[in-house]
Amino acid sequence: MWFKRFKIKNYRSIVDTGWNELASDNITGLIGQNESGKTSILEALNSFYNGIVSDDILRSDLSLPEVSCSFSVSKNELKTFFTEKKLPEKIEEFILDSGQITLTRTWNADKSSYLSFGGEKIREYYSNVEEQRKKQDEKTMLELHCVIEEAKKAEKISGEVLLEAEETKKEYNTLLPVLTRARKIHDKNPNKDTQNQLQKLLLEEERLKRRLEKKRATLDSRLHKLAELSDKSRFAQLCLDSLDEHENARLHWEGSYKELSDLQYYFDSLQTDNEIKGIKGKLDMTNTQHLENDKKLEKAKSRADFRLAVTSRILKGTDPSEAEDFVEKEIRKKAAYYSEIELADESFKHIPFFELFEDFSSLLPNRIDLEDIFTRNRSVEGIKAATNFLIVSGLKATFFEERSSRILKQKIEKLNNEISLNFQDYWRQSLGKDNKIKIQFELEHYDNTHPDKMGKPYLEFWIKDEQERLYPKQRSRGVRWFLSFYLELKANAIENSEKSRVFLIDEPGLSLHARAQEDVLSVFEDIKEDIQIIYSTHSPHLININKLYRLLAVQRAVEDDMKSETVIFDPRSLNEASTDTLSPIYTLMGTKLSDHQFVKKKNNVIVEDTPTYYYLSTIFRLVGYKKDLYFLPATEVNNVPTLVNLLMGWRLDFLVLLDDDPDGNRVYRELRRTHFSNNEELASEKIFRMESIGCIEDIFSTIDFKNFVLHKRVGITESNSEHIEMNELSRAKLAADFILDVQNNELKLEDFDDETIDNIQKVVKILDKALT
Amino acid sequence: MFTFFIILPFWLLYLNMDYLKEIAIEKELIAKISEQKNKIEQQQKELGESLEYASSIQSALLPDLRLFYKIFPDSFVLFKPRDIVSGDFYWYARKGCRVVFTAADCTGHGVPGAFMSMLGISFLNEIVSKSIPRANTFLNRLRENIMKALHQTGERHENKDGMDIALCVIDLDKLVMEFSGAFNPLYLIRKGVLHETRGDKMPIGINAITEKSFTNNIIKLEKGDLIYLFSDGYADQFGGPNDKKFKHKSLRELLIKIRKKSMETQKKELERSFITWKGDREQIDDVLLIGIKI
Repeated sequence: MWFKRFKIKNYRSIVDTGWNELASDNITGLIGQNESGKTSILEALNSFYNGIVSDDILRSDLSLPEVSCSFSVSKNELKTFFTEKKLPEKIEEFILDSGQITLTRTWNADKSSYLSFGGEKIREYYSNVEEQRKKQDEKTMLELHCVIEEAKKAEKISGEVLLEAEETKKEYNTLLPVLTRARKIHDKNPNKDTQNQLQKLLLEEERLKRRLEKKRATLDSRLHKLAELSDKSRFAQLCLDSLDEHENARLHWEGSYKELSDLQYYFDSLQTDNEIKGIKGKLDMTNTQHLENDKKLEKAKSRADFRLAVTSRILKGTDPSEAEDFVEKEIRKKAAYYSEIELADESFKHIPFFELFEDFSSLLPNRIDLEDIFTRNRSVEGIKAATNFLIVSGLKATFFEERSSRILKQKIEKLNNEISLNFQDYWRQSLGKDNKIKIQFELEHYDNTHPDKMGKPYLEFWIKDEQERLYPKQRSRGVRWFLSFYLELKANAIENSEKSRVFLIDEPGLSLHARAQEDVLSVFEDIKEDIQIIYSTHSPHLININKLYRLLAVQRAVEDDMKSETVIFDPRSLNEASTDTLSPIYTLMGTKLSDHQFVKKKNNVIVEDTPTYYYLSTIFRLVGYKKDLYFLPATEVNNVPTLVNLLMGWRLDFLVLLDDDPDGNRVYRELRRTHFSNNEELASEKIFRMESIGCIEDIFSTIDFKNFVLHKRVGITESNSEHIEMNELSRAKLAADFILDVQNNELKLEDFDDETIDNIQKVVKILDKALT
Repeated sequence: MFTFFIILPFWLLYLNMDYLKEIAIEKELIAKISEQKNKIEQQQKELGESLEYASSIQSALLPDLRLFYKIFPDSFVLFKPRDIVSGDFYWYARKGCRVVFTAADCTGHGVPGAFMSMLGISFLNEIVSKSIPRANTFLNRLRENIMKALHQTGERHENKDGMDIALCVIDLDKLVMEFSGAFNPLYLIRKGVLHETRGDKMPIGINAITEKSFTNNIIKLEKGDLIYLFSDGYADQFGGPNDKKFKHKSLRELLIKIRKKSMETQKKELERSFITWKGDREQIDDVLLIGIKI
């Protein structure tokens, strides 16, 4: 996996850098003036890796920092990285499409952070899924409340119907004795009156009977509905309870989290051991409590999610046990796939190891307290270098536990004989007189000159070569820097041998003399196959003029306003950076190129060589081409990238016109890779090839070449350029004669045949499209 | 007497010896001549055999016409070499929808012509190896090849061998034809009218003056168009009542006369006319005529 690009938001002076591609050949330089934000970029990338940010990185508007990094990944790597679960198909498709994995670390207000997975497309995909889920949940919640409401209503209505039925029954029951009495009276004394009375009562009985039956039927249906609704309502209520539980668990979690962070903050501010001891117990307790709450919250959440999903199905009419089975199955199915968080965590395990190398902590000190090494006290000078030294020498804390100082000294002496560092492990350059330098260390104890530390052990370092033994700080800064850098490389290789590595180096070799700075660059070149380097500099000696595509220019949006945000210009837009920012490049190039007459601000067309320059300038004149354009000859095709760099460095607009031959195609690919991040679309706006013209002389048909360039009557069956090469003719002389003929008006465009004119028009058309 | 006797036999002997010597010489001569005759006969036989063999090689180099008749079902190639091997050759190739065909006439006939024709065919095959270029590009490149092969640089005393040629490239999809000619023309009969497109007055080979690009004539074809390419063997044939050349004019008239007949019949008619015109006389040059109906 290689680090390919980064994007930083809200980090010190940075608001949003947008995506910035790293150089394809693993060395990327950040150039810019002091305070431009170069170091912030390196620190932000380091923070991305270790998750640590300090208070001062927060912007005044309190917008939270976010750093995204993309790493290249192949199909095979993908298979080996994600083995435990399945990768969602859509996600795999996105990753393979881009060939990259993107991770974003976002910080919370309390400086804790979390990683999220995927670039814009994947994030959009996940947010859509999340959005849909939310909508579904909202809908379910709405339905859930509706059901509960309806159940309540149904209960009320059923009650009313029951009451009515009972009243009807009561009425009926009251009527029955009256009816019996009337029947008796009528039986005793049948007359018209009794007959009428009986008839009336019978009718009433019939009516009440019917009414009662109707009421009972209504009641039955109401009760049935009520039963149905109350079933649903019961599940809805169950779901609401789970959600409440989840909410309670969340509140508890938040409470314990706040308590824990407050306590931690307080704990960090404590000075004396007693105070620390006093609070430590409480801190541990709070921590345990919070961990418990964390577990509870997780459980409550999965319960609530489960209930919500089940209820959603029940409300749609699924049988409750079926719904539970279904949801359980779904959860199991989902669990077989990586979640977004899991993907982020799993990917993070495989990304390169990031290491920030900066002078304060990384340069080997003269002495360091043993305690500081083992407590990894970051505020101590040279802590990283000393740690690295111990790693390289394979020493652990137990080594120093030897009680007898005599034995310990003997052990150290023996070890000292073994620690000689051979720079040639890593780089080819010879640094100083000898590449073999010995580092010695000794264990000493503070004496009474340091009353506060008296008796405490410390390590003292020595750098020794054939001639003398000196403290690191007594050696030249160059030796000290290289030595420390070497220790870092070696320690890193020991600790992270499985991973690729990214070294973030702030102002490497700052204050080294020019020669030593160039050595730094050579060392980078040597290690770039194994380690990606991102370094900041404002030294021209740390820039390779032929490789300006490696540079990102960093400056403030408003020049000289140190409060304005940091902006980054990629190699393609270097020309938009300020003169001050680009001053290292200018220094390297000498005088300002655009002051010369032959290079203009725009419409410069770089061509491979002088003959191409002569022929094309003449031909464009013959054609009567109207737009301004300036052909610039490179001395040969391999120097085209250098010229490109020069023009970029001087912020001059340019196009490149290459021959359509293997060399031209190679340089095309090289420029596309180095200057245009292999983006064919971008490259094709700036770099052109003379389609099917392998060399400028091939622009002429064979006959025109013979008649107007060669002035010789021979049969030519090979291409014109091949003919020149085979017969060892001087291209420059032929070109010069051709120009003379045109200047003397001995040659007009109409004299050329169709084939030549077609070719000329092709080239004119290619450039005309791109020229402004 | 004795002496006389002795002398006479000597003289006689002398006479006799002379006679005998003559006879011996004669015999020797006869033997020599006979030997030489045998040798010549042997050589002639061998030469004949080599020529037959050369002829078979030449025929092998000429493209198989079956595909040509598939591309142009109504067409003919009339090819009558004067000797065993020929200085005229036909050639065609197809790439996608583009077809190129040509009738070429190399300087000289017989063996020198055959050699040149073989060069020509090889060069044409080479030119067409990647794609079918424009008709004039064919001729331009062919000329470069010949000039290079024969080391022609325009010096006064060098050989001026080469070939005359008529070449067409037809785009079968667009029905557009390109024609380029080195001396030889193209005849196109459309709706009963014969249109002649002349070739450039330059050979394929070194020219007296500077080489120029051959002209690429573009002709939009119509269904029913008749296209003829040929060498000048047919028109240059002596014969007829006054032992004159047949001439291009007569050829044009003959083609117009037979235009409505099928191409197969046209071939027969042309062959018959040629034989009739030639009568007992020798064929003076190779004859090649290609006819295509669109």
